[in-house]
Amino acid sequence: MDIFSTFKVGASALKAHKTRLDTISSNLANVETTSTPEGGPYKKKSVYFESKPLDFKGHMDAVTKNSVQGVEVTKIVEDNSPPRKVYNPSHPDAGDDGYVDMPNISVLKEMVDMMSATRSYQANVTSIQSAKRMAMKALEIGR
Amino acid sequence: MNILPVNNPTPQIISDQSDHHSITQTDQNFSDFIKSTISEVNQSQTEGDLSIQKLHSGEAQNLHDVMISVEQADISLRMLVQIRNKAIQAYEEIMRMQI
Repeated sequence: MDIFSTFKVGASALKAHKTRLDTISSNLANVETTSTPEGGPYKKKSVYFESKPLDFKGHMDAVTKNSVQGVEVTKIVEDNSPPRKVYNPSHPDAGDDGYVDMPNISVLKEMVDMMSATRSYQANVTSIQSAKRMAMKALEIGR
Repeated sequence: MNILPVNNPTPQIISDQSDHHSITQTDQNFSDFIKSTISEVNQSQTEGDLSIQKLHSGEAQNLHDVMISVEQADISLRMLVQIRNKAIQAYEEIMRMQI
């Protein structure tokens, strides 16, 4: 049934924004992490969104005409900006000059991103609820 | 030779098919329609049950997927109930007919 296409779009968006929140919480958890398996401090991660057709039929429709598209996180990219340097000679990861490479994460920015992700999630939940309300109203026609 | 652009092939195809479409649609039985709708609704109910089961066993990846499949099952069932109400209404209307 076609009324469920809103649900599918919404579900893909909810999944994508949940992944976004996951990366933000990962960044916040590792705000003080100076050592990683790859070496060097933790690098800020962010999600990369890409629109995607809902299913095979949607894919075919997307070729022939404009159709609704879901969203998907296709990859998680690392921010390669230089690390924050903090003077702390007693730290085990401190260099010869006494400076420690801290992750390039700003807690402030992450908090704002988190609010944005939460709001986006809520917006998509609202769109799903609207679709449901519309379907219910359509069923009321028969009463 | 005239070559049609690829970007807009559908309108012609749709207009060609529309005549056959109206003929094939009329010979679908009402009981067949009800049967297929019931099986669809049953399937969505089963999907909802399965996703709840997965949530409880910790297999489900996302909470919203569970909620959405349950909502889909809910809407489908309400739709079926409406169809049933309409069918029974029509039946009663016919039974009330004066002969």
